[in-house]
Amino acid sequence: MSAVPGLKEDCEELLGAFQQADTVRFERFAELWRERRFHTVFYGRMRALERNKLTKKTLELAQQYFLPPYSFQIRVGALYLLYGLYNAQLCQPKQKIRIALKDWPEIQKFQQDLLDSQHYDAAYIFRRLRLARAFHFTAMPKLLTYRTKKKIEENYFKEEFKDPSNRVNSLITNDVLEELMNIHDHYQKMKCVISANKSQPDKALSLIKDDFVVNLKDMTLEHQEWQQNRMKLFRNAKETHETENKKKEGTLLESEGSERANALARIKYRSYSAVVEASKSRRHRQVQLESSESGSSCGKSPSRSKKTSRRPQPARGGGEMQVAKETVTRHIGMPIITEENSDE
Amino acid sequence: SIDMLMSSEKEEDPDVIPEDSNLLTLRIRKKNLERREETIIVDRACRQETLTYEMESHATGKRPDSPTDLIEEGELLLTLNIFYPVIFQKHKDHKPYQTVLVLGSQKLTELRDSISCVSDLQIGGEFSSQPDQAPEHISKDLYKSAFFYFEGIFYNDKRYPECRDLSRTIIEWSESHDRGYENLQSVKMEDYAFNDLSLKIGFPYLYCHQGNCEHIIIITDIRLIHHDDCLDRTLYPLLIKKHWLCTRKCFVCKMYTARWVTNRDSLAPEDPCFFCDVCFRMLHYDAEGNKLGEFLAYPYVDPGIFN
Repeated sequence: MSAVPGLKEDCEELLGAFQQADTVRFERFAELWRERRFHTVFYGRMRALERNKLTKKTLELAQQYFLPPYSFQIRVGALYLLYGLYNAQLCQPKQKIRIALKDWPEIQKFQQDLLDSQHYDAAYIFRRLRLARAFHFTAMPKLLTYRTKKKIEENYFKEEFKDPSNRVNSLITNDVLEELMNIHDHYQKMKCVISANKSQPDKALSLIKDDFVVNLKDMTLEHQEWQQNRMKLFRNAKETHETENKKKEGTLLESEGSERANALARIKYRSYSAVVEASKSRRHRQVQLESSESGSSCGKSPSRSKKTSRRPQPARGGGEMQVAKETVTRHIGMPIITEENSDE
Repeated sequence: SIDMLMSSEKEEDPDVIPEDSNLLTLRIRKKNLERREETIIVDRACRQETLTYEMESHATGKRPDSPTDLIEEGELLLTLNIFYPVIFQKHKDHKPYQTVLVLGSQKLTELRDSISCVSDLQIGGEFSSQPDQAPEHISKDLYKSAFFYFEGIFYNDKRYPECRDLSRTIIEWSESHDRGYENLQSVKMEDYAFNDLSLKIGFPYLYCHQGNCEHIIIITDIRLIHHDDCLDRTLYPLLIKKHWLCTRKCFVCKMYTARWVTNRDSLAPEDPCFFCDVCFRMLHYDAEGNKLGEFLAYPYVDPGIFN
């Protein structure tokens, strides 16, 4: 299915903010939700058929974040997001959330985890969804449609949302450690039983390090902490790098932008009346209508006016744009491609 | 109280996108809406859209009158896409299909009865000399055999004595040489329900009737029945999506759907030529009913008849 434009970005932004808040409390999520007034995501005049389709796609997108391999916090955030979207939807009867059979045991495990770690608000939210019959239990996660697509859109995960793949942890789990502990104790006891002194094993029988299980546990914990610290450092570094970049690029772009605006206005005046939305593969270069910007820069820079006055058309275009700004700016403005920050 | 946290505080019109929204989705949607407002003069649901929406939702939430027809919990609901046989060239690229919902406990014969195909209604024979005697028997009554093919097994319709095993030819062909197909079996359609089958989602299967009219069937979804679905067993298999085909109109009046087609007609401007009943008789027969000119005439059933 073709995606809802902009929805993935909005959801990821909300989940990212939730992750940064470093909590799993529903109140926090609700604050973030209300800040963004996320319930308006279904607004916009559309007829029932289109609204049904849109809501289905929205729920499907949000549902993806609810499943592994996303980290625990993101999954809780996705649960809250699903709850919010399900209740905020405008379709009557409500569109449901599709859960595939293969994912259901994972979700049950997740619910058990929530109860064990006493995140009762999240468990309550999940229970509310179940009671409201919000789920469709399906065989396959995605509903198939038959439209020839120009390109198969690759679904990529945001790296920060994923749990760092912890091979060491998946090998040395709590269960394994417990087993080892038991076996170790049993072994020690056996040694005591067969040696002369019943309370202590024979010296000749001490072939292994006594506290090796404890050491193993400490090592795995250390490794996990190290990995988390590394992720945090990496994330912080990237953020500071990004903000620095933003400031630098901002000033550069402004002068470049107005020059380019003039060039575009010269070439494409009169033939452009609509905005062309960038395709998904070029989402970093979003096309924005900035009629006011080009208009003001045309008028403001007197040094450049010599260039522009040579060709009367763009100056007029600039003037017109400024006037038109007050009335309906959208469709008269020239499309200007601004370089948006490319992360990842 | 948790619900209150989500909803809007004051009266908001969901049709209006708020001005100061910082959601990217809404900004893009607003631009699209504004562009539509300029280019489209009258923004109203066309009849295709109304039909699609109606078909999708007309049965939601229905409950049966008699409690024996109520569908129980745990029933499976399958969504099948049944493709039309390719009659027109333009259908080769975007194959039109109809979507049907069936219950897991329903037998295959119920699905077979619910598939409406134009080839079932064909009337065979040339009737230029006796136009009033076009027989009442349509092909559906004459050729009752049909089969489904799922996962290597042919399910033949054997309810009537006239039904033949159409799949036998295929099985014999595959067994005659080592063609690489595992042993294909043939069983009776009426003994099996959908719950007994093992199926792949998205894999094309076949429905064949009339000997040579083939439809591809693809299963797009299997899920458990839900409280909000239509729970009246008698309404299943339920048609929820249908492709709209334009009907061919009479060449003369351009108003009525064509009922006759003529070949090698000295009185007609093109070959083949389509006529509605009235125009056909007025052109080809005189007041006494004598045949005028040379032509061959066949009764015609338009594929758009199911609109």
